[in-house]
Amino acid sequence: MSDYAATVRAQLDPTRILRLLPLGITLAASAFALVWVLFWAPHTNFGPAIDHPDQFFITLLNGIYFAAELFIVASGFALIFGLMRVVNMAHGSFYLLGGFIAYDMQQHMARGGDFFIPSSSINAWEWIVPALVASICIGALGLVVQQVFLRWNLGQDLRQALITIAISVIIADQVITHFHQGLARGLSWPGFIDRFVNLHAFGIQYSLIKLVVTALGVGVGVLLWLWIYRTRTGMIIRAGVDDRQMASALGVNIQKTFAIVFFVGSALAAFGATVVASQGNVATGQDGAWLLNALVVVVVGGMGSIFGAVAGALLYGLVFQFAASYLPTSATEYAVVFTFILLALVLGFRPQGLFGKPG
Amino acid sequence: MRSLGTFQSRKQATERTAAGTMLVLLAIWPLVFSSNSYWVGYILTQTFAVGIAAASLIFLSAYGGMVSLAQVALYGICGLVLGNLVTSGQAKGLHLGWSPWLAVAAAVGITTAIALLFGAIASRSAGIYFLMITLTFGVIANTFFGSVTTFGGFSGIAGIDTYTPGLVGNHVTQPARLYYIAFTVAIIVYLLIRYIVRTPFGIALQGVRDEPVRMRSLGYNVPLHRTLAFGLAGFMASLAGVLYAWSIGVVAPGTLDLASTVDLLVIAVIGGLARIEGAWLGAFVFFAIQTYVRNVSVPVLGGSFNTIIGFIFLAIVIISPNGLMGLWDMITRYAFGDRGGGSSEPFRELRRIVSDAWFRLKGGAPTRTQSRSETL
Amino acid sequence: MEGSRLNRLRTWKLLLPLAVGVVAISAVSATSLAARSARSATPIKIAIMTDCKGAFGGATEVDIGGAQAAFAQFAGGKPVNPKKPSAGMTGITISGRPVKIVGYGCGNDTVPLAISETKRLMEQLGADIMVGPLSGDEAVTVAHYAQSHPKKTFVIGTAGSQDPTLQIAPKNLFRYHGDGAQWNAGIGEIAYKKLHWRKAAIIMDDYSFGWTSAAGMIADFCGVGGKIVKRVFPPLNTTDYSSYVQQLPPPSKVDGYFWVVGGTGTGASLKAYEQAFGKVSPKKFIGNLFFAFLGNFQEVAPRLIGAYVGGFGTGPGLNTKQAKGYEAIVAKWYPGLNGGNYADGFVYNYYNAAWALIRGLKAVHGDISGGQAKLQAHMPRTNRSGYQVSNNGLVKLDSNRQAIQDQYPLQITKGPGGKPGLAITGWVPNVDQSFGGFFTKNSPPPGRSQPPCVKHKFPWTGKIHAVKNGVITKQIIK
Repeated sequence: MSDYAATVRAQLDPTRILRLLPLGITLAASAFALVWVLFWAPHTNFGPAIDHPDQFFITLLNGIYFAAELFIVASGFALIFGLMRVVNMAHGSFYLLGGFIAYDMQQHMARGGDFFIPSSSINAWEWIVPALVASICIGALGLVVQQVFLRWNLGQDLRQALITIAISVIIADQVITHFHQGLARGLSWPGFIDRFVNLHAFGIQYSLIKLVVTALGVGVGVLLWLWIYRTRTGMIIRAGVDDRQMASALGVNIQKTFAIVFFVGSALAAFGATVVASQGNVATGQDGAWLLNALVVVVVGGMGSIFGAVAGALLYGLVFQFAASYLPTSATEYAVVFTFILLALVLGFRPQGLFGKPG
Repeated sequence: MRSLGTFQSRKQATERTAAGTMLVLLAIWPLVFSSNSYWVGYILTQTFAVGIAAASLIFLSAYGGMVSLAQVALYGICGLVLGNLVTSGQAKGLHLGWSPWLAVAAAVGITTAIALLFGAIASRSAGIYFLMITLTFGVIANTFFGSVTTFGGFSGIAGIDTYTPGLVGNHVTQPARLYYIAFTVAIIVYLLIRYIVRTPFGIALQGVRDEPVRMRSLGYNVPLHRTLAFGLAGFMASLAGVLYAWSIGVVAPGTLDLASTVDLLVIAVIGGLARIEGAWLGAFVFFAIQTYVRNVSVPVLGGSFNTIIGFIFLAIVIISPNGLMGLWDMITRYAFGDRGGGSSEPFRELRRIVSDAWFRLKGGAPTRTQSRSETL
Repeated sequence: MEGSRLNRLRTWKLLLPLAVGVVAISAVSATSLAARSARSATPIKIAIMTDCKGAFGGATEVDIGGAQAAFAQFAGGKPVNPKKPSAGMTGITISGRPVKIVGYGCGNDTVPLAISETKRLMEQLGADIMVGPLSGDEAVTVAHYAQSHPKKTFVIGTAGSQDPTLQIAPKNLFRYHGDGAQWNAGIGEIAYKKLHWRKAAIIMDDYSFGWTSAAGMIADFCGVGGKIVKRVFPPLNTTDYSSYVQQLPPPSKVDGYFWVVGGTGTGASLKAYEQAFGKVSPKKFIGNLFFAFLGNFQEVAPRLIGAYVGGFGTGPGLNTKQAKGYEAIVAKWYPGLNGGNYADGFVYNYYNAAWALIRGLKAVHGDISGGQAKLQAHMPRTNRSGYQVSNNGLVKLDSNRQAIQDQYPLQITKGPGGKPGLAITGWVPNVDQSFGGFFTKNSPPPGRSQPPCVKHKFPWTGKIHAVKNGVITKQIIK
């Protein structure tokens, strides 16, 4: 009996209730959002999903596609942060430079003369080669930065973040000087994916490009997962993360693995830039925007976890698209606020992010 | 033992003299050099104002172990709230036309409340996580004000400098007034921080910084201490926001964007994250660089002065992670002969790099990894 | 003994760097003192404010080149480097007085940097007059600054916001080009009459320049009887436009789209459209200047060949002596500036701003004493800007010191070598900022729902001339 009383008391403990509060709010908010979108949605563009399921599914697919794009750009940032505890503030600048390198490469291959090339005159190689060249160049740049500036101050988190900030300032200025004055330039997707496919559901014709981007996001995620959890290098990396000194004592060359991680993480920034620049464009100013996108993804998802980055990207992408589509038309300016409500809820509920380990 | 004591006292004496001279110089500056209004009206006033924000960052970092990137967001929020409340007529935003002092009080109050909220959310994180979460707060504030047109939108709110209290007057015609007000507020904030860190709260905060687990087991509420410290820093940042709005006259989402956030961090780092005085030193050096490093061409690379600023910052971070105040500590140690601490940080670092490279060249010696305590 | 000697030695080690520091500081102050004493000497100091970072960071050289071409042509300036305008200019004199360009402002399209750069130019470098800034919100800030600094003179470089000359309108601020609404005058009528649009949707950046540009299109289109069936407002610099584009009615439901998404958003939003509704059909798209200018041409024009563009107040390919003369002058001093495209508002508007300023200074024989009151009174009320045709080729300032100018709606064409080009499609004479009293100081400024879609007759309604091969014809567009 007294056991039971203690349990009841424990359950009614105010601090416990307080701790559960964020969970309650999150659940209530999600439930409300779901009901709103599915059945209610007055004064919105599309009306409730039950009346217009096609618009609902398009928004859903858009959310997933945008999440894939976010994940590709953020994965490099998440990788470097998760495995090396380096907040690479130059990620945005790597992205920027990578995007322009890919653009110049495609222009060179397809002889665009610095004009946008219609997708019909681009073949698969004219997209793949620029993406690879940009990734390798930026990977190499990242490697140099890591070897010269970040190798000798392991563990000094803030100092490393500051060093990458300084580097990002330099790169951003150099891009304006040497790459089309940093003005907006867009790549083209290969022509054969630039079409619609019939999804055989609610009569939706959906862009194949967006499906390809989604697939690329999944592909990057799966490859990273295989690499980290199914290969020897990945094992060493994880060992190095868990106990740096023990790993090196066991004869593991931790510096080498860190170098590899930085190469891959930087290369992913450039690959992400190639995708984003093909979907839209690359231009100065985007460096900051995409660094912050990556940051939000990583903070929501949980720092230092690939799954976290996936979850963070999905939540961010879905909330972003649904808020823009399912707010009353007079209030769409508040769409961005919902991304932040999401952030606040996650951080209030799990300060380490959805999949993060407690710091 | 004796030599250490001498070292401390001599260093202290030197610093006191330097600080005294500096204060006197600054106090008479507008009287002596009043003709050059740019220094009074911009560089120094901005140094005091932005230095306060930097001091709030350094306060959190040095005594709470929290490096916050939300301080710019907080002073920007304060400026935008002030702008919405105080302007009237055709101004953008809400243009409520409140009386200036009331608006200032409300803006500082609202900002402090937001800071407490931010602090409560972030208080359970530490280290680099804290940095990232607070940066996220900055992003939230920037995007919120950038996209919600009700509060001024992307263009922000201009003309705030024409709605100042009588005490401040017209910043353009009487720049010295705002100069002295900013100077006074800066000194008050400095003394406030010095006072707080000696109170039981401040001492407990430093305990939380060094040994959070032990403090918790001693019965201290660790998140609460962090939250309160953050709220306090938010209060200081909001003072900076008011001064900024009065002196610049316009506050916009651009005031609290990523570039500005990084700028404040740069200021704090140039000054040195370990000592409060560094905030104003860093701010001064930053504004001086911004102003005077201009018509320089960059050899080989090309590019504008931004490249140079990047390199200067890079050099400071690499050579002296504790900024100019750290450099000062190093110089005094060297000059007054305190060899107890061994050779100074950058030299040790440099020597390590060189010897490391040497071993690698000779093809021997496995790479040593060295787990070092966080110095920043 | 030994110890104290050592201590003294160490004291020296401290004092030496300190002494070096003091010397350095005094050197700096001496320089600034020298600079100050130089300030009291004769040269007139002019600053050019532009952007060198952010979305328009690439415009620096173009803007400076435009302004300095005028100083070279009319005030004897010599470019230090014809390939790099920002290298400076020497030897400028006006009525025998030397003129010095003391500095170039480096903004990033945000308000705070605009104001701190303006302060640096005006207060630290002691400029008397500023040519600039570059963008709408920056100009609003500068207008506020001008209001509180009546003893300095400001000539806007190129900016599309209404407020500086309609709402704020300080007496020492001049603008010799149109605003965002003026730059889109006439295009709505062309959509209605040439493309037979009746129902259109509009997508606009959710900030002042987007609203102002859209205002010009909406006013004209609705003025002749068109209907705007949907307004969509993506936030500025949205990362992904798909959910905003999705809100537009599909192409089968409307006759066309007015596309007022700027900067990097133009290309991104058009691609998002293609992925939602299929290929862009150029005849269903009308853009503001972001279809063709501000660095966007290379990126968006190839898929828009045949589409109409509101314009930038310039007349690319206009075949008049005055226009050719202007282009020849820029080509003479800065050959190849802006890739040889001188009919870009970045070049043209900065050029005219500087030219008008030179004329003002000449009118007062370089006398800027007495708080520049004389100069401000004698700043030209008309200017023979290159692309102006009506009013005997003179751009006229209204009572708010804002230009009344001809506007040229444009069309993206296939130029030589299959590359996209630009052609003038119409001539809208004498467009004033108020649209003939439609926008006033007291009317709500352009916004999400402003102006409303109403029928209205503007001074140029039914008077737009067709332009063929750069020649203005007698034919009215019907």
